[in-house]
Amino acid sequence: MSVSANDSAKVSVRGFLAKYSVLIAFAAIVIFFAIASPTFLTPANLFNVLVNNVVMLAIVALGLTIVISSGGIDLSVGVSVDMASMIFVMLLAAGYSGVVGVAGGLGAALIVGILNAILITRLNISPFLATLGVLFIGQSTQQLATSGGQPIYLTSGYAADQFNAIARTALLGIPTPVVVLIVLAVAVHLLLHRSVFGRYVQAMGAQPGVAWYSGIRVPRELSMVHVLCALLAGVTGILLSATVKSYVPLSGNAFLLDAIGATFIGTTLSHERKPSVIGTLLGVLLLAIVKNGLLLVGWNFYWQQVGIGVLVFLVLAASFGLRRAAH
Amino acid sequence: MSATVLHGEVGVSDEKQAAAKSAGRRFGALVVRLGAIAAFAAIMAYFVVFAPGFTSTFNLINVVEQSAILGVLAYGMTAVIIGGGSDVTEGGIDLSIAANMGLCAAVYATLLSMGYGDFLSVLAAIAVGMAVGALNAIAVVGLGILPLLATLAVLNVAAGMELTLTQNTVVGASSPLLGLLVSGSFLGISALAWALIVFSAIMIAVIHGTAFGLRLYAVGGHPEAARAAGLSVPFYVSFTYVLSGFCAAVASILTVSRLSASTPGSGELLLSVLAAALLGTVFSRRFVPTMGGTLLSVLFIGLLANGFQLLNVSSYWVNGVQGALILLVVAITSFARGSEGSR
Repeated sequence: MSVSANDSAKVSVRGFLAKYSVLIAFAAIVIFFAIASPTFLTPANLFNVLVNNVVMLAIVALGLTIVISSGGIDLSVGVSVDMASMIFVMLLAAGYSGVVGVAGGLGAALIVGILNAILITRLNISPFLATLGVLFIGQSTQQLATSGGQPIYLTSGYAADQFNAIARTALLGIPTPVVVLIVLAVAVHLLLHRSVFGRYVQAMGAQPGVAWYSGIRVPRELSMVHVLCALLAGVTGILLSATVKSYVPLSGNAFLLDAIGATFIGTTLSHERKPSVIGTLLGVLLLAIVKNGLLLVGWNFYWQQVGIGVLVFLVLAASFGLRRAAH
Repeated sequence: MSATVLHGEVGVSDEKQAAAKSAGRRFGALVVRLGAIAAFAAIMAYFVVFAPGFTSTFNLINVVEQSAILGVLAYGMTAVIIGGGSDVTEGGIDLSIAANMGLCAAVYATLLSMGYGDFLSVLAAIAVGMAVGALNAIAVVGLGILPLLATLAVLNVAAGMELTLTQNTVVGASSPLLGLLVSGSFLGISALAWALIVFSAIMIAVIHGTAFGLRLYAVGGHPEAARAAGLSVPFYVSFTYVLSGFCAAVASILTVSRLSASTPGSGELLLSVLAAALLGTVFSRRFVPTMGGTLLSVLFIGLLANGFQLLNVSSYWVNGVQGALILLVVAITSFARGSEGSR
């Protein structure tokens, strides 16, 4: 008896460690860098991390969180980022107002999302292959539109400066891009975890067949999922262009693997490994803090990548391995 | 064609509606599959007629040479997908394969430039490749991490280590082996083309000609059934990841020989490798990944790029057409699958 009680205690400790491995890792990393680098915990540095490393990746990852919740994947988020960025910059460069630029940019992302939706729901192509195909087409489109990948720079026109200013100002002491992220994160959280649409999405992710027989209009909801993901990526594209005042072809793809990683790191928070907005944001923060911390400690860019890979590997190993042992 | 007629006759003579129906379905699937292959053939025919020099032996061998690296990598990916199952999020996939090739190439070129001989350098490259594969295997099989995630983390590690090793520069390399691969030829076919031919023959023989290969399909197709039948699922799945690492190492030697150097940016090959491995399923009767199918799709991708080059079409089109073709082929395939009923 005492042995089994002891075992179950061990199991629950393991279960606890597995469940909170991301949080524990997160805390350990923050403490480590706080000791290792005096500048790490300064407001200026944290502000820098938030604005430069978190916001854009987090918005892309929010979109992927919706898609991955529905049981799919979107490899073309980079294309949505790039297309929004390209159209936005082209419109501003041609002298249109900021409103037209934003509308055009989001419209371009919308087209990518609708294309994905048609391929997945009408032609029954698996999300992985459909969005892979769109990724290839998107890359070609950008190369053709920019004669092989020439960046477009915004010369200081009125709208361009205005946007750059917005990207760099603060609202009530919070940088505007962060405000945008908070609004979007709350919206996606409510949509995914508190709305009927969210329940449908979760149902499709858990049991696609059951969702279908329960009368959920799977194609319609799935289309919505992919359109939302593309639009969120489009927001990142516009923020990116507004911040760097240019469009650099094929730059959006850099978000893809990090966003997938962040979303799946977030899934380790839930027992059923379901993606959640809070988990995703935590995943993004974890990646951003490690990047920044390694930089402050003096590791160069190349070692940072190794460090992030090793760290993500260890977090995943702890979460998956301990949970497996707990069962 | 004669095979389909035969199927039809069997169905009717049995006078069982179900049999006739299934024969009809099979016929439909065959038509669709032939349709996809016909689309490939039509594109090839167009190149044969309109692209000058497309069918010359020199050009075709050139295409085989150019396809060697992609082909070897795609075999590794195909093996992983066969052994892990083709489910998108839970199934087998090796996202680290291209980065692994980059790391192996960097190790190989660096050791050569430090004066170590071919033997040691090749051995080291293969050891590194298989070690990265073993890391994937431990993560996926030992720790139970989703392949998509595990190999994503390993991708970062491998890519980062390549950058650290080379400082993001080109590392020049030359050696007797590289010289042989670049300029050697046998029966009028260059060494690089031979590398692909021999490697293809081995992979097709091992996966499609042995009991081992059959068991690998069983493990990927239905792990529980395979386990119940007494197969060691962890062993087979681990094997595919280590094999994938080995393929990355072989490809790295080919890429160093082609470029006479290890160069940054090999990670960009990943999407083409995935496309080749997945596109290859259309060449199989049951739409499963096969080595032969992968070879055909690799050659097809190579011929496509080559044909465009000969027609003087901007290379910017190649990705887009490749993407559109993947979508076309997969749409047709999923249509055929739908008409076959659920698998």
